[in-house]
Amino acid sequence: MKASFADLVLRNGRIYTVDRNRSWASAVAVRNGRYVAVGDDAAIEPHKGPSTHVVDLRGRMAMPGITDIHTHMLMGGQAELFDLNFRSSLGVDQICAAVRAWAEKAAPGAWIVGAQWGTDKLPALNTAAALAKLDEASLGHPVLLRDDSHHNRWCSSEALRRCGVTSDTPNPANGEIGRDPATGALTGMMIEAASGIVERIMGESGHYTAEMDQAAMARSIDTLNSFGVTSFLEAASMKPIMAALKGLDDRGALSAWAGCSMPAVEPAFMFGVSGDELIGIREQFRSRHVKPDFVKFFLDGVPGFKTAAFHEPYAADPIRGCCFRGSTLMTVPDLIRWLGKCEKLGLSVKIHCAGDAAVTQALDAIDVVRSFNGPTHLTHQIAHASYITPADVRRFGELGVVADLSPIIWYPTFFLEGHKVAMGKERAERFWPNRDLLEAGALMSGGSDWPVIPNPDPWNGIEGMVTRRNPSGEFGDSTLWPEQALDLATTLEIYTINGARTLQLGGVTGSVEIGKSADLIVLDRNLFEIAANEIADTKVMTTYFEGQAVYERA
Amino acid sequence: MNVPDAGRLRPVTVLTGFLGSGKTTTLARLLKTSEFAGTVAIINEFGEIGLDHLLIETSEERFALLDNGCVCCTVRDDLVETLLRLIARADAGELPDFRRVVVETTGLADPAPILHALMAEERLARCYRIDGVLATVDAVNGLATLNAHREAVKQVAVADRLLLTKTDIAGEGAQTPLLSRLATLNPTALVIHSREGDAPASALTGLELDAAHAGPGEIVGWFERAARAAEQPHFRAEAHIESCRNPDCADPRHGLQHDKDISTFSIIIDRPVAWGAFKQWLEYLALLKGEDLLRFKGLVHVAERPDTPIVVHGVQHVFHPPCELAAWPSADRRTRLVFITRGIRRATIEDTLSKFAAIDLARMRRPAA
Repeated sequence: MKASFADLVLRNGRIYTVDRNRSWASAVAVRNGRYVAVGDDAAIEPHKGPSTHVVDLRGRMAMPGITDIHTHMLMGGQAELFDLNFRSSLGVDQICAAVRAWAEKAAPGAWIVGAQWGTDKLPALNTAAALAKLDEASLGHPVLLRDDSHHNRWCSSEALRRCGVTSDTPNPANGEIGRDPATGALTGMMIEAASGIVERIMGESGHYTAEMDQAAMARSIDTLNSFGVTSFLEAASMKPIMAALKGLDDRGALSAWAGCSMPAVEPAFMFGVSGDELIGIREQFRSRHVKPDFVKFFLDGVPGFKTAAFHEPYAADPIRGCCFRGSTLMTVPDLIRWLGKCEKLGLSVKIHCAGDAAVTQALDAIDVVRSFNGPTHLTHQIAHASYITPADVRRFGELGVVADLSPIIWYPTFFLEGHKVAMGKERAERFWPNRDLLEAGALMSGGSDWPVIPNPDPWNGIEGMVTRRNPSGEFGDSTLWPEQALDLATTLEIYTINGARTLQLGGVTGSVEIGKSADLIVLDRNLFEIAANEIADTKVMTTYFEGQAVYERA
Repeated sequence: MNVPDAGRLRPVTVLTGFLGSGKTTTLARLLKTSEFAGTVAIINEFGEIGLDHLLIETSEERFALLDNGCVCCTVRDDLVETLLRLIARADAGELPDFRRVVVETTGLADPAPILHALMAEERLARCYRIDGVLATVDAVNGLATLNAHREAVKQVAVADRLLLTKTDIAGEGAQTPLLSRLATLNPTALVIHSREGDAPASALTGLELDAAHAGPGEIVGWFERAARAAEQPHFRAEAHIESCRNPDCADPRHGLQHDKDISTFSIIIDRPVAWGAFKQWLEYLALLKGEDLLRFKGLVHVAERPDTPIVVHGVQHVFHPPCELAAWPSADRRTRLVFITRGIRRATIEDTLSKFAAIDLARMRRPAA
């Protein structure tokens, strides 16, 4: 019988199980990474053996590990570990000074990749004179500097030379190669799609090796684990991202369940193989914890830049006139064709829809597919489900579409201020109808959209979902559509079991139940015994993934 | 709703049929008839048809010129390119001008991709029109072949006409189970009996796929055949198979494993339909269910054009451009749709027609038995 003893017992806790009964337990026993007992001391006693590690939780609250249903991995880790980092307030000379200091230490011929310059600096950087300064500072290295929107790059002449870009090179579709208005000489500025020219060549140069990618990915995952996240859906899984996840998992170093959503079309901010080609090689990356079972679509842009598609027009402006509504990037038949293909392959889709017209179009397409294909176990998601017409709210429930709640901006933020400018205060504040979605029976899942928000801390999102107030205090006592606030228990479901279901891991994780993976987090406070405005201060003391402590607060 | 300039388009017949079903024999005989004078036959191997002595080698294709102006050629690479080169050669005077093309598929081929190429390739659509799919079925071994080979089932399901060969060898009575099986698999196809290869050549041209060129009677014909055979309860086969204990039982239902998912059904709509919505529904059907839609034919009463019905048909996800007829072929002006599908349920078609084509469910009926 000794083989049946638990490896780990956690006792004397207040363990919120998020099972169907939303019940509490005080102790759990874990063997081979799975719960073998959930209950009290009496329940776990038979599982305690001589080598069982017993942890006294000393009355602390514990709960299932959190799912982040929308996060971008790797890029943050790469920048943090390997690249030149500078503040977006820096001007031309300060940026060049930082580049020079980096160039003096760089290996001969190596790329210098840096971030991030402020978009407001674009006019100052986009000149031949500024490029001359950058070239001097770069000491002959190819330099690629990203902006804070990740849409534009400022590059040295050596970088352009390696890419074959000359003053005669025509602009790519949806992009512009910066040229001095007086002379036509290159400025090194690569706007929108032109960024891809340089990013691809830099990527192919081997600037980031597979080992570096794995290290960067490990750093990103450590960050998630430190906030209590033990499963996530990567939201634009290019090949290096999936390769890094698989590489970590093969080494036994992946401490989270990872869903991957492969872009159907190369995203505006990432470069490389996408669509059928990427989907065709997905099985190479499948492993115990890596699930390449999702496809990402971008149906529109963002409201602040008036690139999201709305039913009603944006506020009039001199460029777009009175009646601009934005537009979608795919037609309904295109979307239906893709959805049909994905369903045949057993792939769920995640469709970026920032405006209410994009949401309508995505739901229309899903409606057609459901009508012809019948019920499904797949978990199609509408990402950033935030501006939704009342008629469409109901359809989330009816069609079984998951509302991907990300990024964490369901309270007053600077994003919201931008939306008010774009479409007026009243419309801008009909943002995140979370309670309506709940009442419509929609499956809702919480995500961060890291690095759109600077760190993937779910506790801000959990507090904000309950209070509809910005936890940072930056916006005082003001609220965003407070009628849409949710209770804490519902919010915790959104961040745990609902996320697991969206990942199609509802039987594996997301709640504390016998047989499930022991993905458990221990908190420094009991969420149910504190004021709602203290939730965001929650600190994770320990994160267990499959019964192993993968993060412990120092 | 475009009617191509009919006179200039050369009809293409796709001749399919399982290995040993008499396909090559049929072709060799047809090429000698006056109806088939001036035909280019695209075949697999000259050896099979006994034309090696007439062989001409060119860089891309191998040709054989026959006395009556027929040409045989083999495909080296791509059928589309071969068909285009034939036109170029005829225009350049390198080949006798030809009136018709017969494409012989290999015995194991799925004819659908050939039809797709002919329908979807714009360069071909400017020179050729599809006359239809002719499938040879061996009256002696046909049932066994259908039982053993999924490809044979597909060939029958997609055909416009079924040429029953070797009926002189097989007795009348022995053919009954096969005929019943064929009617189940493809009730819209006319079955032509051939004794010692005596089927009239005229019966093998003017097939029904290209409705603009088919007689009005043909269009009504396929629907009436479908209606007669409609609602063949394929699923009942399972009950028989499960209950039957006779190892020598000759009931055709024993061989239905390969086509147990194939079903045929017809829908009559007794109110005019809105063309825009119907067309959108067709698009959705092709996008999502094309793979399982082996054959679809429809005669549609369009609300906006009550006197000129529209013929629609498709093979899997490829639909022929809809054709508008000059007049109704009979007094019956109801919309009639026939489906030969693999696993698509009638309810799915009806529900989606109701939802996306704005057709009231109460207006959809099954044909009278």
